[in-house]
Amino acid sequence: MLVTQEFTVKVNDEIILDNINLEFGPGIHIIMGPNGVGKSTFAHALMGNPKYQTDGAVEFHGKDLLAMETWERSRAGMFMSFQNPTPISGLSNFQFVKQCLDANNSKISLAEKLNDFRNHTYNLRLTEDWDKKQLNVEASGGEKKKNELIQMLMLNPKCVILDEPDSGLDVDALQTLTKTIEDFAKEDKIVIIISHYENLIKNLNVDSVTILGKDKTVRGDVELAYSVLEEGFSIIE
Amino acid sequence: MTDLNSIQENKYTAGFETITDSESFEPGLSEDIVKKLSAIKNEPEWVTEFRLKAFAHLQTIKEPTWAHVNYAPIDYQALSYYSAPKFRNKEDIPQEILDTFEKLGVPLHERDALLGIENKNENIIPTVAVDAVFDSVSIATTFQEELKKQGIIFCSISEAIQEHSELVKEYLGSVIPAKDNYFACLNSAVFTDGTFCYIPKGVKCPMELNTYFRINARNTGQFERTLIIADADSYVSYLEGCTAPAYDENTLHAAVVELVTHDRAEIKYSTVQNWYPGDENGVGGVLNFVTKRGLCKGESSKISWTQVETGSAVTWKYPSCILRGDNSVGEFYSVAVTKGKQQADTGTKMLHVGKNTKSTIVSKGISFGDSSNTYRGQVRIGKTATNSRNYTQCDSLMLDNSKALTLPVVSQYNNSSIVEHEASAGKLSEEALFYLQSRGLDEENAVNCVVNGFCKDVFQKLPLEFAAEANKLLSVTLEGAVG
Repeated sequence: MLVTQEFTVKVNDEIILDNINLEFGPGIHIIMGPNGVGKSTFAHALMGNPKYQTDGAVEFHGKDLLAMETWERSRAGMFMSFQNPTPISGLSNFQFVKQCLDANNSKISLAEKLNDFRNHTYNLRLTEDWDKKQLNVEASGGEKKKNELIQMLMLNPKCVILDEPDSGLDVDALQTLTKTIEDFAKEDKIVIIISHYENLIKNLNVDSVTILGKDKTVRGDVELAYSVLEEGFSIIE
Repeated sequence: MTDLNSIQENKYTAGFETITDSESFEPGLSEDIVKKLSAIKNEPEWVTEFRLKAFAHLQTIKEPTWAHVNYAPIDYQALSYYSAPKFRNKEDIPQEILDTFEKLGVPLHERDALLGIENKNENIIPTVAVDAVFDSVSIATTFQEELKKQGIIFCSISEAIQEHSELVKEYLGSVIPAKDNYFACLNSAVFTDGTFCYIPKGVKCPMELNTYFRINARNTGQFERTLIIADADSYVSYLEGCTAPAYDENTLHAAVVELVTHDRAEIKYSTVQNWYPGDENGVGGVLNFVTKRGLCKGESSKISWTQVETGSAVTWKYPSCILRGDNSVGEFYSVAVTKGKQQADTGTKMLHVGKNTKSTIVSKGISFGDSSNTYRGQVRIGKTATNSRNYTQCDSLMLDNSKALTLPVVSQYNNSSIVEHEASAGKLSEEALFYLQSRGLDEENAVNCVVNGFCKDVFQKLPLEFAAEANKLLSVTLEGAVG
């Protein structure tokens, strides 16, 4: 369970998100909202990006999330996929995942890790040498998105926030993405997706839809998403 | 989030002092001191002459000021020019000195050899032979007998002057003349000890040759001299490591390293420099003013410098290559890390003289805190060096208020050669650190990931044993830097 109470996010004293009260249980949750309303900010602030100052409370499986450092949040089972992950030259995709798993005291053997990694690479239709490629260096937008998914699958977190995981993906990749998310969500995970794509939403078993508006937050079921996609965000005003 | 700007503590683990009985000269530099030094080492006349000529020239020149470094004026009269622990022979090395090298992690089988036990287990093939230099003298050199079987000479330069005088005479000062620069001139006058290697024709040296330099005495300059000769078709990989205690005073270290490769010979020279960098306020630390140069004398010969520089308060060092032989190759791979108040002005010179000569420069500067890190390079492709190539890559990674400067000079005097230069400068971004931490790496690990990735091209060039040490050293260095 992820619960935000009076969650407020500021950057340089300017309020971006004001008083957000939301609950996310196991299942798939969609977050929508007009550009610039602070959807990515929501994800980054939950993960502890030092750029943002936060107020209020966020409870994650009974723990005080805001009191934790970013890596502690990760080790507690939080994960976010980045819209535009930073390139790190000289660090290979697999080496990175391996180090993250080691930091999480993973008991999986090195051979198993590599095997799992290559399976995901294959399923997501990435190049065979993906494990050796440098992290987000010279990767296309779609490849980066897929790589974020591999990290998610490898780290196996309890709660994930996927920030526009579908942008930049072709039709085939979008299908793989929905299947990956569906399979992942089956294991009692909290999956929060920031997205505007009908194609993604209609292929997922969506449990809730949240519209982050300028002045208010509205929650509903998947029909709310379809109404917004048809008529625009004005319907919540 | 931990404050990235603070340098919390100094984790220089090699900063201990060894208390041992030693014999030192009174402070002061004069012709008499030079003569006394030569006499105590029982040197042949030509060496005394070499020293005195250098000393005479030293009186006519001044310290260079062009480097991008600041330090308090050095009082050369306040330094002692000789300090040696007291022992009669190599079977009688004081325990505290043996302990020092053990504490510094000079591997056990080497220490056994230091004790004269030699390798009793026939199955263990030594991979490294060590020359251990403590202040002004070489304490011991291991596996000399083993190497001698193949005609390889690996000994202290003092011993070489006694035993192989003609060979030393032929090459000493041939690559770096005494008049080359102020510090080289000073070294030529007062060099105390160092390493000599000679690899005969056609011999591939079967083990890594390693000199470990340890400064211990206070207010003593260390002036070591290294000379490595690779005769035709030979190969040697040589490693150099250094540490010093954490004293409040600056310690002067002015070394000279000369390399010569004959036809088709190759020398791979690797350094992990971890001299005491001073404390967080910039008090103390080693002034590392070193002249290193290799001469690719023969055709198709190769000299490769790889350095990992993490220590010293001030570094002034430009390992260079003169590519005289046709088709000869020069390489320079460098990682220089500065933190706190450290200052590094380092780089290389590649002087192309022969035809079809090639050089590669890869320099990685990483700076933290208030430190400054300068790359200074010169590539000169002469008229005769037709069809030559140079590739230079200089990258800087910065954090906090540190400064990084890149000063490349390229001159080309023929039309058939190609020179390439790539440079990048970047800040270690909060975004990158956040990204890595969001996957469960703590801050230190995250910084390590970025820095290690940044240095990878260079670390790959280090011999295996050394690469592990360099990695470890880098993470220890970063611990202190990130806090």
